[in-house]
Amino acid sequence: MKTLFLGNFGARPGVWEAILAKTTEKLDASVLFDINDTQRLIPALAEAEIVVSHVWRKDFPEAPRVRLLQSVAAGIDLIDVPSLPRGVTVCNVAGHEQAIAEYVMLTMLAWQHRLLDIAAAFRGGVWSTGGGAGGGPTHGEILGKTIGIVGYGKIGREVAKRAVGFGCTVIAANRSPIADRGEASQIHPLAELDRMLPLCDVVVIAAGLGPETSRLLDARRLGLMKPSAFLINIGRAGIIDEEALYAALRDKTIGGAAIDVWWQYPTADEPNRRGSRLPFHELPNVIMTPHCSSATDGARDRRFTTVAGNLDRFVRGEKLTNVVMTT
Amino acid sequence: MKALFLGGVAADTARGIKDELPPSLAVEILDDPIDRARLPASAADADILVSNHWRTDYPPAPKLRLVQSVATGVDLFDLAALPKGCAVCNAFGHETAIAEYVVMAMLALHHRFFDIAGEFRQTGSWRTSWVEGGAPHGEVRGTTLGIVGYGRVGREVARRAAPFGCRILAANRSPREADPHVERMFPLAELDRMLPECDTVALCTALGPETSGLVDARRLALMKPSAFLVNIARGPVVDEDALYAALRDRRIAGAAIDVWWQYPTPAEPTRRGSRHPFHDLPNAIVTPHNSGWTAGMARRRWDEIADNINRFVRGDGLINVVATI
Repeated sequence: MKTLFLGNFGARPGVWEAILAKTTEKLDASVLFDINDTQRLIPALAEAEIVVSHVWRKDFPEAPRVRLLQSVAAGIDLIDVPSLPRGVTVCNVAGHEQAIAEYVMLTMLAWQHRLLDIAAAFRGGVWSTGGGAGGGPTHGEILGKTIGIVGYGKIGREVAKRAVGFGCTVIAANRSPIADRGEASQIHPLAELDRMLPLCDVVVIAAGLGPETSRLLDARRLGLMKPSAFLINIGRAGIIDEEALYAALRDKTIGGAAIDVWWQYPTADEPNRRGSRLPFHELPNVIMTPHCSSATDGARDRRFTTVAGNLDRFVRGEKLTNVVMTT
Repeated sequence: MKALFLGGVAADTARGIKDELPPSLAVEILDDPIDRARLPASAADADILVSNHWRTDYPPAPKLRLVQSVATGVDLFDLAALPKGCAVCNAFGHETAIAEYVVMAMLALHHRFFDIAGEFRQTGSWRTSWVEGGAPHGEVRGTTLGIVGYGRVGREVARRAAPFGCRILAANRSPREADPHVERMFPLAELDRMLPECDTVALCTALGPETSGLVDARRLALMKPSAFLVNIARGPVVDEDALYAALRDRRIAGAAIDVWWQYPTPAEPTRRGSRHPFHDLPNAIVTPHNSGWTAGMARRRWDEIADNINRFVRGDGLINVVATI
C-alpha cells in the first residue's frame, strides 16, 4: 500500500523509520520532508493511499487515492479539512497526555516552591533566598490548592489524577457535558468559566483550539483570576490573548505563568524566533519552554505504536482507532 | 513556669504561637544563642527549652523537663548535656512539603527542566522542542522509584508518585507493614539489591549510625548510569567525595541535593555546602536545605509545638517524644 510520510513531523528522520519498524504489514513507503517542494509533492500525493502527516494545506495538489490521513499529533488544527478529498478518514494520536500531565505538575510545583530562583541563587552561594538553613522567607506548596482545568479531556483527567495525590482540589470546565468526572470534584460548563476562574490557585489550559476557545482567556477573564494565581498553558497559544497575558504578568495582576505553546514559531530564516512579539522572556514570573511538554521518550513510543497499529489495521481492512472524522 | 526559645528559628516559632500559649507561662526569647552573657541566667530557671540545638559547653539548665526541638532531627542536641528526667520531643509538619519537593525534583531531573527552560529563556533556541525535532526528554511514568527510609516523608512521597504510574520500591531499617503503593519493601541491609532497579533513588531517612555514609562509592556504582539521586535526608547519608565524582564522571545521570555536608556560619554566611564544587555541575540541582520550608509547614509545625507545650503545662502526655533522659 502506497504510504507517504509527509512534512517536518511525519517525514522527520527518526520518526518515519521508527513507525515503520513497528508495523507488521508491508507498506510501500515514501518520504517527503518539505511540503513546499511542489515538484515532488504532486507525484507523491497523486498515488498515496495513506498519508502520515500532521498538516494538510488548502493548496495541496490532487490526492485522489488517499483514504487515510494519519496524524502524528493530537491536534488537527493544521489540517484543512474542507480541502481533503471525500472519503478520507482522519486519525490522530494520543499517548502524550501522561507526559503533559507530568509537565503541568512539575511547573505548578516549581512555581510554588520557587525552584528556579532558589536553585539559581544557591548556585551563586546564597543560602537565604530559600529560607531553611539560610533563614530566609518560606515558599509555597500545592497542598490544599485549587486546580482549575479548562478543557477536561485526556490531559485534564491525567492532571486531576496526579493533583489529588498532592491533596489538591480539582475543578474543571468543559464545552460538552461530562458523564464521568474522574478525580474532579466539580465540572462547570465552559459558559460558566467566569464563575470558576476566581476560585482557582492554578488554572491549566488543556483545551483544543477552536471557535469556542479562541482568545477564551482575554483581559477580562484574566482579571477574574486571583492575583496570586498561576496559569499553565499546554493547550494552544491562541486560547489566550497575547497582549492581555503579557500585561497581566508584567503588572502582576496574576502571579505567574508556565507557557509551553506559543503565538509564533521559528522559521527557516529565523530559527531562534521568539514565541511572542512581546518579551515574555524578560519577565521573572514566567516559566517558559519550547513546546516540548509532550516531548518525552515515552510519549514518542506510545504515539508511534498507535500510528503503526493503525497503518497495519488499515492495510488489513480492520477497524481503525483514534478516528477524528471521515470526510 | 518558664519557656526559653533559643535561636532564630525558635524565636520565629515563639512569635508564631504566642497566642496559643498558656497565659501563666513566662516566655523568654534569646535570638542569638552565642549571646553568652545572657545564656547562663536564661538557662538556669527554664523548665522548657524550645530550640534546634543544645551544646555540651552551654551553662547548666537543671530545671529543664521538656526539650522541644523546632525540627524533626535532634542530631544537634547533645543529649548527654541535658538533665535527668528531661523529655526530648521533635516536630513534624514538613513531610508533605518535602514530599512535594522530592516529586518535583524527580520530574525536573527526568524532564531536563533546568536545561530546557533555561536555554529557551536565554537564547530563544527551539533546539529542545518537538517542533524542531529535538531529542526527547524523559518522563517518570513507568520508571522505578526507590525510597530509602520509609517513614513519614517516604510515605507521602509514595502517595504522590503512585498516580504518575511509577513503580515504587522502598528500603527501611525496621520492618514496615505492607503498603498499597509499594511493590516491594526491602530491609535496609538489602539495599544493594534495590539500588540497581531504580531510575530514581530518594533518600528520606534519618541520620544515624546505620545511615551515616550509607550511599558510598560502592553503592553509587550499583545504581544505573541513567539514574537520579534525590537527597532531602541529611548530607552525611551520602559520601561527599563519592557523589561528587559519580556526578562529575556521569556514572549516575544527576542529582537533586537539598541537604549538605557543611553549613554557613555567622563568620562565613555564603559558605558552600560542600568542599567540592557541586554548584558547577550541570547535572546537579542544588537548593539550600529548604525543601520543607513552606508557609504551610511552619504553621503545621508551630501548632504541634504549641500543642506540646500546652500538654506539658497541663501535665498531660506529650506527643513526638524522641527520648527521655
